[in-house]
Amino acid sequence: MLAAVRGLGARLTAVVVGPDDLARAVAATGPDELRWVGPGDEVPAEAFAPALAAAAELAHPRVLVSTTDPAARVLLGAACARLGSALIPGMIGLAAEGDEVVVRRSAIGGEVIESYAAGGSIAAVFVGDDVETVTSNAIAATTNDLPAADISVVRGASSVVATGVNDAPRVVAFGRGVKARSDVALIEQLAAALDAEIACSMPIAEDVHWLDKARYIGRSGQHIAPQLYLAVGIAGSPQHMEGVRDAKIVAAINIDPGAPVFRVADYGVVGDLYEVVPAIVEELEHGQPSGGSHE
Amino acid sequence: MVIYKWARDASAAMVRTDGVVDWRGAKMTPGEDDPAALAVAKSLAQTSGGEVVGLTIGDGDASWVLARGVVQAFSVTDAADLPDNATTAAILARAVGRIGDVDAVVIGDSKQESGVAPVLAGLLGWTAVLAVVSATASDGRLSAIRRSGSEQETFSVAPPAVIGVAAESEMATVPGMKELLAARKRPLTQWTVADLGVDVAEAVTVRDSQKPDVTSARVFEGGSAQVAAQLLAALRAEGVL
Ligand SMILES: Cc1cc2nc3c(=O)[nH]c(=O)nc-3n(C[C@H](O)[C@H](O)[C@H](O)COP(=O)(O)OP(=O)(O)OC[C@H]3O[C@@H](n4cnc5c(N)ncnc54)[C@H](O)[C@@H]3O)c2cc1C
Ligand SMILES: Nc1ncnc2c1ncn2[C@@H]1O[C@H](COP(=O)(O)O)[C@@H](O)[C@H]1O
Repeated sequence: MLAAVRGLGARLTAVVVGPDDLARAVAATGPDELRWVGPGDEVPAEAFAPALAAAAELAHPRVLVSTTDPAARVLLGAACARLGSALIPGMIGLAAEGDEVVVRRSAIGGEVIESYAAGGSIAAVFVGDDVETVTSNAIAATTNDLPAADISVVRGASSVVATGVNDAPRVVAFGRGVKARSDVALIEQLAAALDAEIACSMPIAEDVHWLDKARYIGRSGQHIAPQLYLAVGIAGSPQHMEGVRDAKIVAAINIDPGAPVFRVADYGVVGDLYEVVPAIVEELEHGQPSGGSHE
Repeated sequence: MVIYKWARDASAAMVRTDGVVDWRGAKMTPGEDDPAALAVAKSLAQTSGGEVVGLTIGDGDASWVLARGVVQAFSVTDAADLPDNATTAAILARAVGRIGDVDAVVIGDSKQESGVAPVLAGLLGWTAVLAVVSATASDGRLSAIRRSGSEQETFSVAPPAVIGVAAESEMATVPGMKELLAARKRPLTQWTVADLGVDVAEAVTVRDSQKPDVTSARVFEGGSAQVAAQLLAALRAEGVL
């Protein structure tokens, strides 16, 4: 996100509300200025929205940007309201053109890319891919003691059980393309042969309860970033795919060549999972002399 | 108060190759997160002994909320679907102020219009919690729950507050005949943008609209043994096996 703003060639002030390791990580990306608020555990970032908006009004930035994080957006919204800025969601790029700032945004679930030009102060919510930019000239943060609004937070684990899905390097997930509970064994064989954890789409966990809730991937479920995500009999709804945005490689097996999953995956196999999955297991176990997976 | 959106179903929109969006065939529906927002508003009303009123802008169908437990509805009829979320929020903020006596504004916290709820909170000067999945009221405070992955946060906020709700799943509520009949007797107040005195002059102008370059999957088709070998070879070449 900071890289997108950098492209404007203007002075860049970063505001961080959170733990000091977060402030250090942002400092390492090389903003011109870093303001840090490090609240206690029970005070959420949202509490500082009015105070930070007042600070933003003094600084009167031309461009304001946040991530999609719910707390970050509250800070953005408060500042935007105070400054009277326009706000474009879904921002993937920024450019300065003459006196105008041009915001590129992704709309209708990524189906269209639109550009808007703003002559005045403009805010945007960044949804693009983040690049690692670590500079050597990390800067020191100015710490701020700010008044907090009347809001507190208690953090805990939701009732779901812990699984290995969250940090597994390889994850095999299945969806409603698997027709019967007994067929889950087929997916288990594939996961074992790939040395992968097993996951699923929401209906598998919530409707038919074949796997624990902690194993479904997506907007409402787990967000994971494995090296390999292999989706078997999963349609690839946007809500599901949101959970594997950060996966390195997404592969899919689906009988329907028009399945949306093929629009977002890196590799696809069009075929019946009941034939393709056993063939992959066979290939892994007997096909290659080098055998299955290596660490 | 629950704020809901009534708009053409984006999942049915087609984008032509020249980047123009074709909305023919897209039906009018409530926003994706709005049924969940309505459920949260009702839960807040129930636990606080209050009532839910509905607010929408654009051609909102008031019977959608009025048949689902909302006692009174307001709509700003001539507000278009604006690209600038801050202007949408300004119209909503003005309407909330006009309605008055509101402890909580519950609004769908949508992916597509992710700036509406936070700017609305900023304009009202209220505390906001977004991406909430459920909320209740007790002892004069609002308690709101947000989940991400296996973590859960429980917020305690002093009203008035803006609660942005993210739906966790599809929630279809079909009203009964009694509710549908009752809806017809419930009051609907209609305003125009001019009534509210909001300036909707566009702060941004559209430059262009394009279909993104799709980087679709490398797809293998053919006999099972062959595609299995091809897929594994590709994954090995990527270094992910
Ligand atoms: C607010 C909201 C939040 C949501 N959050 C999530 C979420 O977090 N996670 C999530 O997963 N979903 C979520 N959903 C649901 C999501 O929209 C989809 O409905 C769901 O992901 C579909 O699951 P599926 O792909 O397993 O099933 P389906 O859509 O039924 O797809 C099954 C697929 O299997 C294929 N298939 C069938 N037979 C075979 C075969 N023999 N071989 C190979 N392929 C076959 C079909 O072609 C099809 O593509 C959410 C929905 C809403 C409204
Ligand atoms: N044109 C609009 N009319 C009314 N409400 C809107 C409008 N645009 C955004 N909103 C609000 O913003 C929320 C998210 O919008 P959406 O996902 O697009 O449904 C909705 O729940 C609405 O309350």
